Amino acid sequence: MIELQGLTKTYAGKNVVEDVSMTLETGEFGVLIGPSGCGKSTTLKMINRLVPLSSGRIILNGDDVTELPAEQLRRRIGYAIQSTGLFPHWSVARNIATVPQLLKWSKSRIDDRVDELMAMFHLDPAEFRHKYPHQLSGGQAQRVGVARALAADPEVLLMDEPFGAVDPITREALQAEMRRVHGQTGKTIVFVTHDMDEALQLATRIALLNNGRLVQYDRPIEMMVKPADDFVREFFGQADLGLKLLSRRWVHQYQRPPSLTHHATLPGLDHCWRLDEAGRPIVLEGARLDDQHQHTDVRSEWIATPEMSMKEALSRMVWYRVMVLPVVDETGKLVGEVGMQGIMGIESNGGLHAGGPAS
Amino acid sequence: MALPERRRWVGNRVLATLLIAAVASVVLLPFASLSPNRLVSGQPVMLWQALAGWQLAAFALIGLLLLVAALAGPLPRRLALWLSLGATLPLLALDLQALGAYAHGALADASPAARVSQGATFWILLFASALIAIDALQRLRLGPAGRALYGVAALAVIGVCFSGELLSPLSIMREFANQRDNFIDQLVRHLLLVGGALLPALLVGLPLGLLANRRARLRNGLFSVLNVFQTLPSIAVFGLLIAPLSALGRAVPWLGELGVSGIGVAPAIIALVLYSLLPIVRNTYSGLAGVSTGALEAARGMGMTPRQILWRVEIPLALPVILSGLRIVTVQAIGLVVVAALIGAGGFGTFIFQGLGQYAIDLVLLGAIPTIVLAVIADFALQILVSLSRPSGTR
Repeated sequence: MIELQGLTKTYAGKNVVEDVSMTLETGEFGVLIGPSGCGKSTTLKMINRLVPLSSGRIILNGDDVTELPAEQLRRRIGYAIQSTGLFPHWSVARNIATVPQLLKWSKSRIDDRVDELMAMFHLDPAEFRHKYPHQLSGGQAQRVGVARALAADPEVLLMDEPFGAVDPITREALQAEMRRVHGQTGKTIVFVTHDMDEALQLATRIALLNNGRLVQYDRPIEMMVKPADDFVREFFGQADLGLKLLSRRWVHQYQRPPSLTHHATLPGLDHCWRLDEAGRPIVLEGARLDDQHQHTDVRSEWIATPEMSMKEALSRMVWYRVMVLPVVDETGKLVGEVGMQGIMGIESNGGLHAGGPAS
Repeated sequence: MALPERRRWVGNRVLATLLIAAVASVVLLPFASLSPNRLVSGQPVMLWQALAGWQLAAFALIGLLLLVAALAGPLPRRLALWLSLGATLPLLALDLQALGAYAHGALADASPAARVSQGATFWILLFASALIAIDALQRLRLGPAGRALYGVAALAVIGVCFSGELLSPLSIMREFANQRDNFIDQLVRHLLLVGGALLPALLVGLPLGLLANRRARLRNGLFSVLNVFQTLPSIAVFGLLIAPLSALGRAVPWLGELGVSGIGVAPAIIALVLYSLLPIVRNTYSGLAGVSTGALEAARGMGMTPRQILWRVEIPLALPVILSGLRIVTVQAIGLVVVAALIGAGGFGTFIFQGLGQYAIDLVLLGAIPTIVLAVIADFALQILVSLSRPSGTR
């Protein structure tokens, strides 16, 4: 558990970070986010005192570490940065062993720990132990950087935009890996990013900063559903946040009973399903923008399943120009339908990670 | 690509150019010269006049091998490079052996005062083999071990040629025989002057470089002062130091007893230190400045103390650049010590200025050649040290 109490940083008479207080329980994944210059990185660096505090206190697992010598404090806190900061003249194994060596662990204990961490990050020790940083790909170097930060089993792990400089595909892989490692180790993590996607992928808590102040600190879904003010609403409303939300929602949350007779009055929405003897949908009558009375053979490309994400379902509706998709179970039997109306008409419920297949 | 195919005949242009130069010099320039005594200029002797049949045949064979290596067609590239590198050692040996054998033959029934000196073709063949070797070593991308091995082999060839009586009838070797004890003294003196200048320069320069890295405000002033030293001509510095140092030597008796005076070792070393400071300070500074900020931030963030960061991260990463600075000043100091002979500091310059005074070219060479050899050896050795100091991963 880490508590920040009234952290303030003053440069030349101006508060770049002002009175930031937050508590992160053990095992939480806290993400600091905000526009550039909002003080998120400064706040992070105040935790390990790379930036000295102007005022405020830091409590680590109940100990007040504000007055502890900076080097001692830093050896209890892992630190990973965007440029990896790997030492180019040291092998991968020696890089990972940096903090254990500073703490004067025995050689065998260090070797075991290095192997353990390399296994955790899927780096084959036989292949990578003796490689040098310049021989690694961007993703591998970043994994080594995070492994190094975790080497001495720190109480908290600080990460300063660690995946900001790698290509999008590698970034997604690293994020997935970070979620897994977080789950495996149960580490308390403080993570800085400016990428909302990344924050939503990883965070159990999000702290939104603006102009050096903490605007809102909450669970991700609460931030979206109950924004504290217009700034939060606008910040989360950037870009395709609506679609992002749908990518964390599942068809079964939006599904309704299938319409088997014509009764709707709205143009384009009046439709009904024709089934075969086994209860599988074979023809859709109506619900096509081009000709609402047309009968369309149901195509396997636009059949939805309860586990499908709503983003994917929406994408199929748009691509195949149908207003409603059939939802079938494993045997292909029609169990429901999901349509354009449903996407707009339902209240947000459940967390971002709730429901759906575990990813 | 539908470009018309152009046949390339020459695979290695450097080698081809050197071969043409060597052949031209063999045809046009003398290989040696024969004179009745050490002061008059001699008769030119062409290569084919000086050599026995087997030596000419051996030269022709080596030339042919190098020609094959230079052409694009016959050999794979790496094999051609290895062949040309390998051919330089027999070429070097043959060049020296041929000169020595000719001198023995020509002086056998001449007057004792008669002299044989090496001619332009001898030098051109020597330099051609050195340049061919350097070119091949670079293109083969040999590591420090391979380079060192070649360097030792070349030194061994030269050593063997000089060890016996083979070259002793040459004029320059007779000058050497006259000066043998003095030569060793001047060699030691030369090395002591270089070492005596480099040690204080390092002791002052390394901390100054660190200071320039840590204190941005001092940096510009420091570099302008050091730049001024670098631009002063060396003879002017020696001259400028005469008055203050002799005054100092007289005023402080114990300094005078230590040898501080207007001429001699003290001004030489002071001037050399001043010249050496800028490259050392500049390279130390830029070596440290080149350490990535990410590595420094990570080192701090993981809890290294400033001292640990300096010794474990900054110095190892800056070392190749610092050593390149040392390489520059070492080669520079070996050359500058020659000039210091003018103010009586000793060293190989003594022979050069004596020889100039007596118009005895071979005595000049007795000073100049060992200076060049020293500089080349120092350069070669420090170059190997620089590549050894590179982080193993990036070598």
